[in-house]
Amino acid sequence: MAQYDEVILIVEDDPQIRNFLCYTLENESFKYFSTGTAQGALNTLVSEQIDLIILDLGLPDFDGLKVIEKVREWSDMPIIIVSARDQDKEKANALDMGADDYLTKPFSATELLARIRVAFRHYFKNPTTQYQTEAQVGELKIDFEKRVVSLSGEIIHTTPMEYKLLSLFFKNTGKVLTTNYLLKEIWGTAYGNDTQALRTMMAGLRRKIEEKPAQPKYIITEIGVGYRLIEDK
Amino acid sequence: MYGIAASIAATLLFNYLFTSPYYTLTVDNPSYIITFVIMTTTAIITSALTTRTNQNKIKAEEKESETKALYNLTSRLTDALDIDQIASVSAQMISNVLDCKAGCLPFNHNRNPERYFIQQVSPDEQIKVELDDPEALKYRILSLRSGYDITEDYFDWPIYGQENILGIIRIPKETAVDLDDAHKRLLLSMIENTALAMDRVYLAEERLKSFEETTQERHRGNLLRGISHDLRTPLSGIMATSEMLKDMTLKTDSRYDMMEAINTDAIWLHSLVENVLSLTRLQEGKLTLDKEEEAIEEVIDEAIRQIKKRAPEQRVNVDMPKDVLLVPMDGKLIMQVFINLLENTIKHTSSNKPITIVVDNEEIENKVLIKVIDQGNGIADEELENIFKPFYTAGSKHADAKNRVGLGLSICDSIVNAHGGEIWAQNREDGTGAELIFSLPLEGDRNGSIR
Repeated sequence: MAQYDEVILIVEDDPQIRNFLCYTLENESFKYFSTGTAQGALNTLVSEQIDLIILDLGLPDFDGLKVIEKVREWSDMPIIIVSARDQDKEKANALDMGADDYLTKPFSATELLARIRVAFRHYFKNPTTQYQTEAQVGELKIDFEKRVVSLSGEIIHTTPMEYKLLSLFFKNTGKVLTTNYLLKEIWGTAYGNDTQALRTMMAGLRRKIEEKPAQPKYIITEIGVGYRLIEDK
Repeated sequence: MYGIAASIAATLLFNYLFTSPYYTLTVDNPSYIITFVIMTTTAIITSALTTRTNQNKIKAEEKESETKALYNLTSRLTDALDIDQIASVSAQMISNVLDCKAGCLPFNHNRNPERYFIQQVSPDEQIKVELDDPEALKYRILSLRSGYDITEDYFDWPIYGQENILGIIRIPKETAVDLDDAHKRLLLSMIENTALAMDRVYLAEERLKSFEETTQERHRGNLLRGISHDLRTPLSGIMATSEMLKDMTLKTDSRYDMMEAINTDAIWLHSLVENVLSLTRLQEGKLTLDKEEEAIEEVIDEAIRQIKKRAPEQRVNVDMPKDVLLVPMDGKLIMQVFINLLENTIKHTSSNKPITIVVDNEEIENKVLIKVIDQGNGIADEELENIFKPFYTAGSKHADAKNRVGLGLSICDSIVNAHGGEIWAQNREDGTGAELIFSLPLEGDRNGSIR
């Protein structure tokens, strides 16, 4: 099995889940450190070269959000949040504060590894040197130069707003984009918190790109958090 | 009468003493006759006026004592803390006013007479008199046609509250028979005041009771939520680890099946815990729904994805109206409804036939109907009514064998009701399966509270 060079830090206070995380990473031959406290996490971050953090939000000593805040002061390494299902607000906050992705407990090893891969790919892809002219997910294709979207080779007519939205998703394939982030990017701050407009626009877009809007293949909803463009397996 | 007699006597006396010829009742000067007539008339009028004033004074005094008695009663009743105290105060005050030995029999919470009368025996002393047959008394009072009930030794006046009879005032017969109108009126006012006071105490007691019940309910809910919360983390661990162990085992190995069983059970327990958490959130009562305009397709999509994790083979079709449908709802809770309905449907559809979800906003105005349709064997008629009741599982005789409490569907019921919608089940007429249907209002106050 391939040996990864990246080092992962696991911050999780529940020993069961921590062990599970450790085993999973070990199986995939990742190098990792693990700790149960936020302070421990900060200590490890100072003493070791870490490439990615898996962070539980409910830590015994202080809030996981503070860890994100501290890390973002000096690094943009990927941070994946691990949280319980009823912590939507915290999840959305964490993502808005700079976390890259999240996992809801309970999750499987496959899910975890998929998220780690996405996070690393985004992290190591340098947008300035690797200028993208087009991107594709399944049958859905976007051409950044011509500013057109096509599905199975047929051009889809999108409004400028919809194009903007789609291009955002394509630049962040596999990554969850929070409602807040999308609103800010598309409407700017002036419109504030008009989630309803975003929902309507998403629904309209889905009707153009998805065969079954209620079981979308491309852009899926993360209720209470945001949306995610799935990536090819 | 006395006034007239006195006037005439005075005139005669004047005639006898001061008119000539003196010391006889005859007069010389006939003009005196006129004087006498005027004198008599004046005297009669004066005496009549005086009498009237005196009578008014007495009446005013009566009124005053009446008001005073009522005021005393009211002020003492206000201080009374429970029904017995009210009965005692009322018996004492009525005894004072009517100058007799009155008794009072309060009724209890169940609207039945207590077993004893509070009986005044002397101005400062009360005793409790055991009652022989409260039921008979209650029957007599309930079948009463006039204002009071007459027995051998007593008159019984019922105390009517806002809704029920609250008690009885008992007056000795000899006093009751001699009561004049003023005293009767006073007695009725006093009984009325007693009724008000008793009603107040009962209301206060009921409020306290319901408050205590709510508090208890909340404690229970908190406990349940606490436990569920604490169960969730280890369960996540068990689920994840067992799944990993399963994947590390060869399918031919007998340990594979064991691992799978652990995993399945853990998943089931986890969904139960999620359901309990939703339920405690709802039963909080004080909590308002976290309502937002959600696109219903997004909620359905997420629910289907959750279900696919547990039943990857299950096909689900969705039939949506063409236009985007935004429905005010608590997205998390409605998603739970979908998950539970789908889970239930999968459980009862033995074959691997697809499940269809139909969203319909045209059949009923201002409401959206959502149907989860299976192609299974349908639901037995006697179960159609009950499946959304708490802790009911289809074929409840074997509920244990199936290892499931019917929590899922009853939670759907609670959640849909809290949204102001309805939920029901029906079999398709052609016998091709069952439909679980719920409705949600499309309009309404955005943050409707659960009441």
